[in-house]
Amino acid sequence: MSTFSGLNAATTALWANRRGLDVTGQNIANVNTEGYSRQRVDLAAIGGSAVPAFFSTTTGIGQGVSADDVLRIRDIFLEGRGHTEHANLTQATAESESYELVEQAFREPGSTGVQKMLSEVWSGWQDVANNPADPAARGQVLKRLETLAGGLHFSQEQLGGQWTQTRENLAVLVDDVNAAADNIAVLNVAIQRATQGNLPANDLADQRDVLVMKLADQMGATVRHGKDGLLDVIVGGITLVSGGSAAKLALAGTSDPDGTGSDPMRVVTAVGNLNVRVGGTAGGQLTAMNTVIPGYRTQLDEIASNLATVLNTAHAEGFDRTGAAGGPVFGSSDGGPVTAANITVLITNTDRIAASGVAGAANLDRTNADRIAQLAKTAGIDDGYREMIVGLGVQSAVSQRNFAIQSSITSTVDAARESVAGVNLDEELTNMLSYQHAYAAAGRMITAIDEALDVLINRTGVVGR
Amino acid sequence: MRITQRAVTLTSLQGLNRNLDSFSKLQEQLTSGRMLTAPSDSPTGTNRAMQTRAEQDATAQYARNISDGQSWLNQTDSTLQQMLNVARRVRDLTVQGSNTGAMSDTARQALAAETSTLRESLLGMANTTVAGRPMFGGITAGPKAYDTVTGAYVGQAGAGTEMLRRVSGTDSVRVDISGPEAFEAAGTDLFSLVSRITTNLTADPAGLEQDLADLDVVMNKMKSAVADVGARSARMDREADINMGQGIALEKGLSQVEDIDLPNMMMRLQMQQTGYEAALSATAKSISPTLMDYLR
Repeated sequence: MSTFSGLNAATTALWANRRGLDVTGQNIANVNTEGYSRQRVDLAAIGGSAVPAFFSTTTGIGQGVSADDVLRIRDIFLEGRGHTEHANLTQATAESESYELVEQAFREPGSTGVQKMLSEVWSGWQDVANNPADPAARGQVLKRLETLAGGLHFSQEQLGGQWTQTRENLAVLVDDVNAAADNIAVLNVAIQRATQGNLPANDLADQRDVLVMKLADQMGATVRHGKDGLLDVIVGGITLVSGGSAAKLALAGTSDPDGTGSDPMRVVTAVGNLNVRVGGTAGGQLTAMNTVIPGYRTQLDEIASNLATVLNTAHAEGFDRTGAAGGPVFGSSDGGPVTAANITVLITNTDRIAASGVAGAANLDRTNADRIAQLAKTAGIDDGYREMIVGLGVQSAVSQRNFAIQSSITSTVDAARESVAGVNLDEELTNMLSYQHAYAAAGRMITAIDEALDVLINRTGVVGR
Repeated sequence: MRITQRAVTLTSLQGLNRNLDSFSKLQEQLTSGRMLTAPSDSPTGTNRAMQTRAEQDATAQYARNISDGQSWLNQTDSTLQQMLNVARRVRDLTVQGSNTGAMSDTARQALAAETSTLRESLLGMANTTVAGRPMFGGITAGPKAYDTVTGAYVGQAGAGTEMLRRVSGTDSVRVDISGPEAFEAAGTDLFSLVSRITTNLTADPAGLEQDLADLDVVMNKMKSAVADVGARSARMDREADINMGQGIALEKGLSQVEDIDLPNMMMRLQMQQTGYEAALSATAKSISPTLMDYLR
């Protein structure tokens, strides 16, 4: 054991405690930084030589303290749960948002929706029944039929617009994901080099974790830890980032809102065109585009086609102002089957409205107009529409509730993550105090050894001088 | 569990946001005055609201149908009453003319001239129009129910041509009465009878006895037509009352589903506000202190 080993031990203590103060300072500085994990100096006592040798012996007292490692405190298991729950939350958000937009497209319950337009059409037919001779009543029912067709067009266009917008959003999101994956790959390389060079890479790892969480939000990513600090990112069973290389994703599928049946929207790998089962925002948006919106568009089409069939059949049973049999009321503007997008009123002349139920010469009978007015109750169009709206309400309420539940789960997991990785100022201040005191004590230690050496060097051998 | 400053901040922020969210939801409901803004607010409520709205529209239409029908029935009633008065005058003249022996030919001719004019006036009244349609003409598209010269029925009546007004979801009430139903069928109808009386007054006074009997039959028919129209008019009035009552009930029902309960909402808003303020002050208290405040 060397004479000066005490000095050396005190020096390591000074150095280690200053390191501790530095790290505390870094923690305090980043108390509000998103994604920052608190760091801790890993202090270890330097023991004496444990290997017995002939001349080199140890007294068993250590050689001071070492503070080589600065650890990042983070729970990998909790991070994994965080990724899963964040993906679930963003998926629920995207879904409930899409339902909300569908609700807006229908504007029910209120006085501007299709329901009101249907009611007005039936009322209009009763007005015609009351006064079959009046061109005003006939003109009114024609205008109301046109308004109804317009209302169906509007709702259908709204849904189509929503679909297109969601598709564009998803395309941007896929680009964003590709950029984030590239960044993660670059960070992976940097972290690997740092780790191999035995340099701290804690802040790089924090940056990478933020990006991974963003990927989890967007597409539902999970991670696999490799050696040398590498991190692989897996999305829907496909390895998106593997070490220093990142795969590219692309958006595939129809660009027509009605084409999802044969060519559904999907996220695929840019190379190989493999289907990726994505979660997160992308998953929610795919559900909206493949299931929710097309479902309501189909239902609306059925309502329009049903309306046209029922009304045309009833109208054909009557006779118009000139005594001729009634022609079709609704048709499609493009010659195909009637849908909510192409339904149009074929009658332009008010005389062509078949209010009469009595054949033969022109007369002012009202039976057929009345029969058509009664379709409100018998044809089931209003009921069918109402059923669709109530079904939409239930679905939307369920998705909102799912969102609320998921958001409380996610915030619990976030709180747990934060409780491990977050910076507590009280704790840092306490650490600061203890490092400060330890530093002061180490300084005093040096003074003590200095005085001891002073006695040895300057005061020994002067006896009797 | 280890609690950090950031966790406290995040939790407080989340709580405050939630509070503010319910606050704004309440405020939105209060300012719009509506509980239901989207189907998801209450799917069952939406169902009821939509049903009630459809029924409201139907009820408003029934009210229009009823008032339209009432005007038909009232005009038919007053026209029939006037025509009965004229028919009574014809009967008086016929009785006068049937007093054989007391009348000179000139007097009979004067009587005949008057009945002839009365017939024209009867025909004129029988062609009275409501909203452009002859009220006794059935479903005819023409302007007249009876030919003004020959007195023949030119309207289109018969089974299946009744003019109805829908007064409720289940009931329709007939609002017209056709010429043959009010004035007897062709051949024995009022107008040909009056025309025969005019002829018989001068040509065959003895035949007037039979004419008188026939006229009584026609007049009885007209009286029963008046009674019929009156009864239907009374039914219309009753339906109008029912309809109005239903309209009010529906309005109330819709308001229960869709509209806010103001005192309740104000109370909840007040509570929410108290809660929000409490959350704000709790946050202010919990975020500010750290050990820093107590270290020298």
